[in-house]
Amino acid sequence: MDAKRAMLEIRGYSKTYGEGKRAADNVTLTVERGDIYGFIGHNGAGKSTTIRAVVGVLDFTEGDIFIDGHSVKTESYQCRQITAYIPDNPDLYENLTGIQYLNFIADVFGIGAAERQERIREYADRFEITDSLGDLIGSYSHGMKQKLAIISALIHEPKLLVLDEPFVGLDPKASFTLKQIMREMCAAGTAIFFSTHVLDVAEKLCNKAAIIRRGKIIASGTMEELTHGASLEEAFLEVADE
Amino acid sequence: MNKNIVLLKNLLLSTSRRNSYRFCKDRKKRGRIVGNAVGQAVLYLMLMAYCIANCVGYGAFGLTGSIPVLCALVISALSFFFTLFKTNGYLFNFREYDMLMSLPFEAKDVAACKFLYMYVRSLPWYLSVSLSMLAGYGFLAKPSAAVYPVWIVSSLFLPVIPMLAAAFLGFLIAKAGAGFRNKTIVQTALTLLLIFGCFALRFFLEDMFRNSRTEAVLTSLSDATGRAGGFYLPAGWFARAVTELRLSDALLLIGASLLLFEAVFIPVGRSYRKINSALRSHAASGGFVMTAQKRRSLQNAIAFKEFKRMTGSTVYLTNAAFGELLCLLAGIAALFVDFDQMIRVVLQGAPLTREMLYPSIPFIIYFFIGMVSTTAVTPSLEGKNYWIVQSLPIRKRTLYQGKMLFNLYLTVPFTLFATLAFCISAKAPLLNTVLYLIAGLCLCAFSTVWGCVCGIRHMRLDWENEVEVVKQGAAVTVYLLPNMFATMGLMVLVVYLGTVMDPNLVTALHILAVAALTALCYLWVMALTKE
Repeated sequence: MDAKRAMLEIRGYSKTYGEGKRAADNVTLTVERGDIYGFIGHNGAGKSTTIRAVVGVLDFTEGDIFIDGHSVKTESYQCRQITAYIPDNPDLYENLTGIQYLNFIADVFGIGAAERQERIREYADRFEITDSLGDLIGSYSHGMKQKLAIISALIHEPKLLVLDEPFVGLDPKASFTLKQIMREMCAAGTAIFFSTHVLDVAEKLCNKAAIIRRGKIIASGTMEELTHGASLEEAFLEVADE
Repeated sequence: MNKNIVLLKNLLLSTSRRNSYRFCKDRKKRGRIVGNAVGQAVLYLMLMAYCIANCVGYGAFGLTGSIPVLCALVISALSFFFTLFKTNGYLFNFREYDMLMSLPFEAKDVAACKFLYMYVRSLPWYLSVSLSMLAGYGFLAKPSAAVYPVWIVSSLFLPVIPMLAAAFLGFLIAKAGAGFRNKTIVQTALTLLLIFGCFALRFFLEDMFRNSRTEAVLTSLSDATGRAGGFYLPAGWFARAVTELRLSDALLLIGASLLLFEAVFIPVGRSYRKINSALRSHAASGGFVMTAQKRRSLQNAIAFKEFKRMTGSTVYLTNAAFGELLCLLAGIAALFVDFDQMIRVVLQGAPLTREMLYPSIPFIIYFFIGMVSTTAVTPSLEGKNYWIVQSLPIRKRTLYQGKMLFNLYLTVPFTLFATLAFCISAKAPLLNTVLYLIAGLCLCAFSTVWGCVCGIRHMRLDWENEVEVVKQGAAVTVYLLPNMFATMGLMVLVVYLGTVMDPNLVTALHILAVAALTALCYLWVMALTKE
């Protein structure tokens, strides 16, 4: 039913490691088109484990995850065609130049020459790394690599954008640009699901959020439902410490 | 363009030194890239010269007809073993796994592209063997012009089947290892077990072929090669394709390679995500209880860090521990097998007595131990973590002393055990035994410092996959080849000198020479690490 409408639906997802520890326990949440959904939790709470399962990188046995109605388990390929993922510490090909890397991603998604040129130019200008696109990625700073990873995620205009701690390492201007782009994408109907530690950002940017603790979702809903008029920080500390 | 070709092209481009050279602005780095390329070209030439010399030898004994089978067997054996060592690093556990798997590629296509990448990167080695043997065969057999294209095209497919077999075995090992808590150790143990099994099988088959000989040794050699060609079908197909110009055999080789390629990646693709998930994910176990902590000296702390680095990587551990384990097995075997019988098996009836072979004992041990020196790879293996040691108050010299100490901790016990076991088995007199133990220690020290020189001079931190520095790095190659050739040459020289003068004197001279070389290399390391 909802699986057809929601852009991302996680249903009873659990991940148990070989050692028997449950990194995610019956996680259930729904991200609609146009949502900016924050995923909040302590270090080691299970945010990255859940995100990696969403983008089809991590295998899991219990529950299922649907992207635009496609199961990540059985239709992983279709899911990845409409999803973009930016990990917290992107491992890019360091011996490629920035433009070579972006062209690789554009080739993978079959983006035409004129289109890709236009999009790369637009995003590279906004993130102010156009001048560095001809340099080897190995020579980039962490922030520049992060910007390149973001551009590579945006150039194929995904329906679902999944980001793991996207603001870490970005300078204030780049952070502002990214937030601006996220709002624009959201207005265009793209769903955004991202993890963060920065509660101020989550509070201002997201319309929905979920709080995860020890692999379990302990609170979720719209920002108003979560905060009840208080700040997100207060709401988070209250439920996280319970 | 097909997405898989895009991926393959990108994988090749991302590790291409030419690309780095083109866009790198650091002149020193560019110089290093050129130096490495020249060094690699020299190695290809050395390999080609060795292959041509082999052909000349075959030709001189009238065995020209066996050259194609020999070529097929050499390429197949090399590709099988190299792939077995590399599969874990290339197919599984690679750094950009998250990035690649989040893109719209089928899991089996990613695995297949990684395999093809491994194939293309290894191809220059196999082509060096193939083309030089073709030159030798062409010169000696003067075949028709049609043989040349058939040989070249067919030899491109020769490594495929053995590489697929090795990759599939690597996949099974990864699959089995993924279920364990100590995945690295289990995978390494299984890989080494498989390699030792293959070695044992090789000796068994060789023995089987040779036991049936009734003719002279040379005829038997050709016979053994021919039988091996019959036993290993692709070698036979290749040989018939080029000697009898049977295109059907060439097509059989190509067709079987392609079919197997398709077949292997179906099961690999099915479990690919599951295996990688298990290999790459580690849950924090929690429940740590603080107990008394131990203080170590700085060098020992570095050596311990090196130990943990080695045991944390299947590729590194397999390569580093291989020589030591061979040494251990040889030592145990020496204790239980009659030394004279060992001489007969290894030397195939050459007229040498055990006394004449005494001085070769340290060399035999060193042949195992010296295959890999951890000091040749650890400087590069620091990779992106190099900043940690750089930012700590550790003098460069101390850092490398710690790395050298670790290699000594790793090699010395095995060397001493195996030397002692060989001496006991050979009933060597006490003085000889002491001298061989000292020689063994000197060789360990030499291997350590020479490895360190190579490791520092050819340090490469910008690798994408640790296989690039553990298996294919310039440091490893520069360390290994002169070292092994010199060891073989010295062994022959020492055994020969031992027949014309006092063998103990020869060993003493050998110890002095190795000690002097070790001291020189150590000074070199000190100069390279001067701040």
